[in-house]
Amino acid sequence: MTTIVTPRPELLDTSVRPDNYLTYTRGFLSWALTLDHKRIGVMYMSAVLASFFVGGVFALLLRTELLTPGRTIVSADTYNQFFTLHGAIMVFLVIIPSIPAALGNFILPIMLGAKDVAFPKLNLFSFYLWIGGALFTLYSLAAGGFDTGWTFYTPYSTTTTTGGVIPVLTGVFILGFSSIFTGLNFIVTVHKLRPPGMTWFRMPLFLWALYATAIIQVLATPVLAITVCLLIVERTMNIGIFNPSMGGDPVLYQHFFWFYSHPAVYIMIVPAMGIISEIISVHGHRQIFGYRFIAFSSIAIAMFSFIVWGHHMFVSGQSGLMNTIFSLISFSVAIPSAVKTFNWTMTLYKGTISLTAPMMYGLSFIFLFTIGGLTGIHLATLNTDVHLHDTYFVVAHFHYVMMGSALIGMIGGLHHWWPKMTGRMYNEKAAIAACIIIFIGFNVTFFTQFMLGSQGMPRRYYDYQPEFQIYHVISTIGAYIMACGFFLCAACFVQSLLGGKKAPANPWGGRSLEWQCTSPPPHDNFSSPPTVGNCYDFSMLRWDEKEQGYVVDKELEALAIAAEARGHS
Amino acid sequence: MLSTLTSIFIATASVQTAPPVVTPADFWLPIGASVQAHNVDLMFNIINYICYFFFVVVLAMMVWFVIKYRAKPGTRIRTDGMTHHTVLELSWSVIPLLICIAIFFFGFTGYVDLITPPKNSFDVNVTAFKWGWQFKYPNGAQSDNLVVPSNRPVRLVMRSNDVLHCCFIPAFRVKKDIVPGRYSTLWFQCDIPTGIEEKNGYHLFCTEYCGTGHSNMNRRVMVLPQAEFDEWLVKQAQWLDEIPDDELYFKAGPKIYARCQQCHSLDGTVGLGPSWQGVWTRLTSPGGARFSDGKSYADIIGPGKEYATPEDYIRDSIYNPGKHLVATYGNVMPTFKGQLTDRGVDSVIGMMKHLDEFDAKGAWTKTLPPAAAKTESKSEQK
Repeated sequence: MTTIVTPRPELLDTSVRPDNYLTYTRGFLSWALTLDHKRIGVMYMSAVLASFFVGGVFALLLRTELLTPGRTIVSADTYNQFFTLHGAIMVFLVIIPSIPAALGNFILPIMLGAKDVAFPKLNLFSFYLWIGGALFTLYSLAAGGFDTGWTFYTPYSTTTTTGGVIPVLTGVFILGFSSIFTGLNFIVTVHKLRPPGMTWFRMPLFLWALYATAIIQVLATPVLAITVCLLIVERTMNIGIFNPSMGGDPVLYQHFFWFYSHPAVYIMIVPAMGIISEIISVHGHRQIFGYRFIAFSSIAIAMFSFIVWGHHMFVSGQSGLMNTIFSLISFSVAIPSAVKTFNWTMTLYKGTISLTAPMMYGLSFIFLFTIGGLTGIHLATLNTDVHLHDTYFVVAHFHYVMMGSALIGMIGGLHHWWPKMTGRMYNEKAAIAACIIIFIGFNVTFFTQFMLGSQGMPRRYYDYQPEFQIYHVISTIGAYIMACGFFLCAACFVQSLLGGKKAPANPWGGRSLEWQCTSPPPHDNFSSPPTVGNCYDFSMLRWDEKEQGYVVDKELEALAIAAEARGHS
Repeated sequence: MLSTLTSIFIATASVQTAPPVVTPADFWLPIGASVQAHNVDLMFNIINYICYFFFVVVLAMMVWFVIKYRAKPGTRIRTDGMTHHTVLELSWSVIPLLICIAIFFFGFTGYVDLITPPKNSFDVNVTAFKWGWQFKYPNGAQSDNLVVPSNRPVRLVMRSNDVLHCCFIPAFRVKKDIVPGRYSTLWFQCDIPTGIEEKNGYHLFCTEYCGTGHSNMNRRVMVLPQAEFDEWLVKQAQWLDEIPDDELYFKAGPKIYARCQQCHSLDGTVGLGPSWQGVWTRLTSPGGARFSDGKSYADIIGPGKEYATPEDYIRDSIYNPGKHLVATYGNVMPTFKGQLTDRGVDSVIGMMKHLDEFDAKGAWTKTLPPAAAKTESKSEQK
C-alpha cells in the first residue's frame, strides 16, 4: 500500500546513499513519474505559484481598467473575461489546491511521522488530473474564452456566445477529482499511517485542519462535478435543467453551486488556520493555547460549512423562511472562528516571540482574518445583507478571507517550511519587508472596497458612476503596492535557491516531527523512527548564539521525555 | 452585554415611530431616502460598533503581547504561560454566540419589514432585459427611468426577458434578483420628492452579472408628489400620440434609439448588432448573402416574398429578432413586442431612412423638418 514496506536495496548500502529527496534520483522522468509525496508537493507548489502569477496579472489588469469610469484599457467584453478568469484561476487553480495539495502533500506525511501518503500512485494521478484541468482551462482561452463569472450562473452561462464555457467546465470537473483524490488520500493517511505514539490529540493542529479539509473535499466536491455536468448537458443538448425557457429553474443551479462552493470556502481557509496555529506556536515558542478548542473548532467549521450555503442567495428569490433559517445557521460559523482568533492571540501571551518572516505573516493573518470574519456579520444579517449583497462590500469581505487569510496563510506556511523544502534559508529582512509591503498594499486595496460597496457600488462593473472613482483609484494603487510586495517575496525565494545559506534541520526551534529530519528531508523522510512527543512543548529550547535562534537542547529534551513518560505511567 | 441589547431594542423601537427624513451620506453609507433605510442603517451601524470593539480588543492584545513578550537574542524560553483555560474559552464561545443571536433576531425582524409590502401599494411593472429596463404603469405609460409617487408605498413587480438581473436602489436600501420565468417583487416608500430632473434622481443599478452591458443598466429613480406624478403619468402615456406624424422620426426617433444604441451604432462601428449605417440603401438594393443561412435581402423582401416591404422586415426584426440573423451576429437581441408600439416602430423606421440628418450619437442635426419626409412617413401608417 505504501512505500513503508520495503526499503530499496540501494538504501541499505550506505556508501551510495543519496542525502535528500531532491538528489535521490535525477532526470526529468524521476520527477514526472515520482511517487514521493515531497516531489509531488514541490511540483504542485510550482504549478500553483505559476497559476497565482497568471491570476495576479489578471487582477492587475482589472484594477488598471477600473482606474477611470468607462474604457481605460480594454472593452467591456474583455473586462468581463478578465474578472471571470481572475476568479476561476484563483479559486480552482490556486487557493483550493495551494495548501492541501501543495504544502499539505509535502508536510502531512512528515509531520505525521509516515514515509509517504497512503496511496502514492493516487497522489501522482491527482497531480496529473490537476495538470489536465489546468490545460482545459488554458484551452478554453483559445476556444474563445468565457465571460460567465467564476460562478457560472444560469441561464447566462448556458446562453452566452463565448466558446470557452464547455472547456473550462470540463477543466473544473477534472480539477474537482484531483481535489477529491487528495482529500481521500489524506483521510486514509491520517487514520492509518500514524506511527506508534502519534495519538489524535498529539497531532499538530495543521494535521487536524488538513483532516477537516479533506472531509469537506471528499463530501462536497462531487456535488460540483454533478452541477457542471448538468450545465454541460444543458448547454450542449438543450435539456432544460436550469434555463426557464426550457422549463428549468435558475435558482436550483444556485443551490447546487453553493452547496459545493460554500464548503469550498472552508477548503481554502481551514488549512490556512492550521498553518497559523503552527506558526504562532512555533515562532512564539509557546505551547498553543487551548489545543482541543482549536482542533474541534476545525471540525465544527467543516460540519457547519455544509448547512449555510443559502446565505449566498438572500436576494435570489429564495423564500423568506429559508433566508431566515440560513441566516441563523450562518452565524454559527462565527463561533469557531472567534474561538480560533482568541486562542491564537492568547498563545502570544507569555510567549517568547521571534518576529521572523513566517511570524509576520501569522500576525498579518490574525489582523486580516479578524476584519474578514467580522464583516461577515454584516452579510449574515438579513436586512443589512439586502443592501450589501452583490456590491464591493462582498468583494472586499471575501478577499479579506480568501486572500488576506487563506493566501497569506499559504505564503506564511511557505516561508515557515521553505528551509525544510529546499534546504536553504532566505534573506529574513527582505522577506519581512515583502510581508509588510503586501500587508499595506492589501489593506489599501481592499479596505477601500468596503466603503465602495456600502456606498452602493455593485460588483462586476466595467463602467461606474464618477463619484466612485476616488475609491477605485486608491484601490488600484493598493493593488500595485501589493504586486511590488509579491515580486520582492519571489525575489527572496529565487535568491535563496541560488545562493541561500544552508538550512539547519530545525531553524525555528519547532517541535513537530518534520523538524526532526534533515533539511531537505531524505527520500524516506526518517532514517530512524521518530520519537513522538508533545509537539507544542518548547521548554527544551535554548538560545544558540551561532545559529542566532532557538535550538532544541538534547539534555533538556531527554529530561522532558523522561518527565512525560513518568506522567503517563 | 445586557445594556447593548437594551440599547438596540430602544433604538429600534424609537426609530419605527420617528418621522421619515432623508439621512445624508456618511463615511459608510450613501444617502438614505426610503422609510426602510433608517432601520437598515441603524442595524449596520450597531454591527459596525460591535466589530470595532472586537477588532480593537484583538488588535490591542496582539500588539501588546508582541511588544511585551518579544524575544531579544539570548532570552530564555518562558514556560509559565497557561496551556488552556476552559472558563475563558467557553466565555469567548458563548458571549459571541449570544451577540450573534441578538444580531440575527434584529436583522430578521428588519428583513420581514423590508420584504412585506403594505396592502395599499402602487404597482409598477418592471421588465429587465439585456441591457436595460422598462417601467410600465397601470395606465399603459412606459418609461426608461423609474418615476414614482411620494408618500406612498410602491411595489415593483419584476420579470426578466432573458437572464438573471437584479434591481438595486442604494438610497432605498432595497435589492431583489429578477429571475426569468417567475415574478419577483420589491417595495419601498420615499417621502421626499426629488422632482423630474434626472440628475436629482437616485441611482438604480443591476447587480446580477448579465454580460456586456451589465454596468450600463443604471437608471434613475425620480420621486414626485402625488398630483405631479398623476400629471406625469397621463403625459407619459400619450407622448408618442402628441407628436405629429411627420415629426415623429426626429422627435421620437432619437429617444427610442437611446435604447438601441448600446448594440447598434450609427457610424459603422461594430457592436453586438449590425450598425444602422446605410441600412436603408442595403435593404432596397439587391446585394449578396446577408443572413447566416446564406440568404440575401432580395430573397426575403419583395412582393410575394416573406416581407412585402423593407418596413415589414424592420418591424418583424424588432418584434421577432431571432428569426433572421445577420451573418456573424448572435441571437442576443431581446424582443420589443409589447414595449414598442406601432408608432414607436414607425419612428425608428423613419430615423433609419434619414440617417444623414443625425450625428453619430443619434442627435438630430437639422433645425427644420424637410418636406420630403412627409409623404414617406405617411405611407407607413397602417
